[in-house]
Amino acid sequence: MSEPDRSSLPIRREPFAGVANKTLDGSTPDWNLIGHPTPPDGAPNVLLVLIDDAGFGNPSTFGGPIQTPNYTRIAAEGLRYNRFHVTALCSPTRAALLTGRNNHAVGFGSVGEFAGGFPGYSASLPRDCAPLPRILRDNGYSTSAFGKWHLTPDGQQGPAGPFDRWPNGWGFDYFYGFLAGDSGQWDPCLIENQKVIGTPEGFYDEEDPYYFPDAMADRAIEWLHGVRAQDADKPFFLYFSTGCSHAPHHVAQAWADRYRGAFDQGWDRLREETFARQKELGVVPAEAELTPRDDAFPAWEDVPEQLKAFYARQMEVYAGFSENADHNVGRVLDAIDELGELDDTVVIWIWGDNGASMEGTVTGSFNEMTMQNGIPLTDEMQLQLAERFGGMDKWGAQIMDPHYGAAWAWAGNTPFKWGKQVGSHLGGTRNPMVVRWPERITDAGALRSQFGHVIDVAPTILELAGIPQPETVDGIEQEPMHGTSFAATLAAADAPEFRTQQYFETIGNRGMYKDGWWLAMKTERIPWVVTPDALKPYAPGVWDPDAGPAELYYLPDDFTQAHDLAAEHPDKVQELKDLFWTEAERYKVLPLLATLSTFFGILPPIDQQTTFEFRGDVQNVLSGMIPRIYNHSYAISADLVVPEGGAEGVIVAESDHLGGFTLYVKDGKLTHTYSMMGVFVFKQVAEEDLPTGEITVRMEFAADEAKPATGGEVTLFIDDRPVGKGRMDHTVPIRFSAYAGMDIGRDNGGVVDLAYEDRKPFAFTGTVKKVVFDIKPHLSDQDELDIHAEAHRGHAAHALSG
Amino acid sequence: MAKDPTDVLIGGYLSSKAAHEDYEAVLNCGADVMGAVVVSKDLEGNLSVEQTDHMVKEGAEGLAAVGFAVGLFAPPLLAATAIGAVVGAGAGKVLHKKSGSKIEEQAGETIPLGGAGLIVAYKHANADTIEPSVTRAIKKVVGEAEGRHVEALKGALADAQRKMTEEGA
Repeated sequence: MSEPDRSSLPIRREPFAGVANKTLDGSTPDWNLIGHPTPPDGAPNVLLVLIDDAGFGNPSTFGGPIQTPNYTRIAAEGLRYNRFHVTALCSPTRAALLTGRNNHAVGFGSVGEFAGGFPGYSASLPRDCAPLPRILRDNGYSTSAFGKWHLTPDGQQGPAGPFDRWPNGWGFDYFYGFLAGDSGQWDPCLIENQKVIGTPEGFYDEEDPYYFPDAMADRAIEWLHGVRAQDADKPFFLYFSTGCSHAPHHVAQAWADRYRGAFDQGWDRLREETFARQKELGVVPAEAELTPRDDAFPAWEDVPEQLKAFYARQMEVYAGFSENADHNVGRVLDAIDELGELDDTVVIWIWGDNGASMEGTVTGSFNEMTMQNGIPLTDEMQLQLAERFGGMDKWGAQIMDPHYGAAWAWAGNTPFKWGKQVGSHLGGTRNPMVVRWPERITDAGALRSQFGHVIDVAPTILELAGIPQPETVDGIEQEPMHGTSFAATLAAADAPEFRTQQYFETIGNRGMYKDGWWLAMKTERIPWVVTPDALKPYAPGVWDPDAGPAELYYLPDDFTQAHDLAAEHPDKVQELKDLFWTEAERYKVLPLLATLSTFFGILPPIDQQTTFEFRGDVQNVLSGMIPRIYNHSYAISADLVVPEGGAEGVIVAESDHLGGFTLYVKDGKLTHTYSMMGVFVFKQVAEEDLPTGEITVRMEFAADEAKPATGGEVTLFIDDRPVGKGRMDHTVPIRFSAYAGMDIGRDNGGVVDLAYEDRKPFAFTGTVKKVVFDIKPHLSDQDELDIHAEAHRGHAAHALSG
Repeated sequence: MAKDPTDVLIGGYLSSKAAHEDYEAVLNCGADVMGAVVVSKDLEGNLSVEQTDHMVKEGAEGLAAVGFAVGLFAPPLLAATAIGAVVGAGAGKVLHKKSGSKIEEQAGETIPLGGAGLIVAYKHANADTIEPSVTRAIKKVVGEAEGRHVEALKGALADAQRKMTEEGA
């Protein structure tokens, strides 16, 4: 068979080369018809690993305090890249990684939860930008993805699709993981291909509980074995995208305990220790300077003595969680090695998609969602809430959704300033990368220091596979990838710089790199603060992006961005400012701050739907898909069939005890429990028993007023008869959970009311025929508009932690 | 000779553990305490009450007749002080409304699920020793009153409750 034309995908089948007569008499077959495209000869397997929410100074491979023996093994057998860059936010980096194009240009100026009305922020992949897995699949690769996805718009994550925005639609033959920006590692709401499969059965196994990082590796190995059992030669592309080290930091205590006492010296000293090791390893130049602490982070010596153990444990858990990720990637590597294919596999392993996350705020949090819901909690409050749920030894357990304090993230980004969300500085944009492929690499264990960007990965993989970028896909002319292959650097340490220019933009924080110069334009907003006062300076007509602070660094001489040269080189500052605007227009970055547009009154149309019906046994409705009951009055009713002898169990439940609601029957009583992020818990119990037969139960929440976090009165009804009542002084203003789903007839995963935790999922023993949410209309159109605006502002705030 | 005023300290907590640590710290601080009570409620609504014997006696004699109402909950501000006020004011109401064996009954209505409250009564002369030993309260207020023994206790408690509610708002 001749080499096919790979410039147009799918690859066209060659014309029938046999003979088809009227009968078999004289007919000859063409067996190529039942073949399938194959990659070019010698095309290697590809294992692409992406760790989440981690920094340059986290893994021991790059001098960090977290032991990463498998990362170090691959580095020793391959190469370390110490000037590799990402986009400073989750979805944008993933979009750039998998498309080879700048993130805004493919609709991912922000995260999947925030699909805005501007081309760079639609969270919807354009059809003229076919992604890498699709290209590889159409060229004959087996493709799979495991773990975090975060490239499907919120609100499109149910059975109605559209599935071209799910992993299979991007070209992965197989997907096992979660669609959202983060997930509980003990109780994920899982997706397998195009189906929400929800909480894994193993969650209920107390002896040997399910753990997502282990399951990811198990499934990846199982998939590899399956592929090889069918086809011994077909190369694979395996994308292993860990939920670690994003919050919630879930890991078994034994992993965290490996680091007990390891962080008692605090973050300031930790940075110094890491920096010294980085110089010893040579991943940071000897002349580099450690950047100072910004006032946004407290000094360790200012932390009250009685709270130091609380803070230290946060980092111990994060470190154990991260080491576990290294362990599970190692298992996949071992499986490939056992197949005898490790040397035929290009391993590209990027430790972090945006620098370590500072979204735990200064205090860290027992529940990552408290920040996103705007609940200001002091460190003492956070500690007490952790104690409420079992204390610091449970910080990594399913009972909490923890996130460490911002200063630990800053330490994880050593030697740089800032971290996630801050696209203007290296703390948010420079992450470690390791590449292994003995076929090309002849100086194993060496360092590469060419300036690279995540958009360069896909073109590199294509070049190593010998596959051209397609000119058309499905008949649609393709926009060329923006990245440039760095394949030449594999064989040659002195290969020329392949990337001399790159823009960066994340939530208004901008960077412009050209020929070693880096212009940094950070907004003055602290990344984890989204209060109205903090946003006011950036309103339309108020903000002049060019008038804000501008710092200038020359990176060849200043690896860490320690010396601001802006005052000495005003012409260079202006040149790079102008270049940024050119690039921003070219790659659809404009309008700046589109991520936050809802905060400034730019809103999508109001959804006219006010009632939502769930018939039968609907389960695992993802957290972004539930009826938006926040901040106003609503009612939830259920048509039940209660058998003789009574029934019990959950009628409907959303999320868990760290934020959610449940309507259930226990001891014969209809009960409603509402958790305001685990900080406040409200419960109302009917004063009479549930009758038998066909009945309707209902809970009504009458809000005090249409405003965020409004309090209000709850009334329980049986067949329109009030049977119980109570007050909820605070309600959740934005979102109950980042990942936990809603279920009819049970409470999958972590339960909302711990009173039935020992009976989870506490399935209803009668029949739930139908559950209806009624999002009641408000008194005025203005109320509707206000609530709509608040909902989307909250959505944007949630998106910031992608 | 001026009478030594009576102080009542109310502390609000988000965890039972924190409240009990402060309770123990008060009892072990070396100063004389007229009485102390710590009330906590777990997430399922189960109550736990621990108190010094002396407090039961004082409360039973002195507070049962008090009948004024205070606003229990701060407005629904998502502010740190308001959160402290919710649990703290709840704690105050427990002692204000009832005492002794009926504390549990009233605490069921006033302490939020998962919250806890600490109330300590002492002579003002001991304030410099007792107040600093209460280190973990999310919100802490001290009321003060002079007068006869029971009246002073009532007055100080009312003063503390007022402060807790007003400052929480």
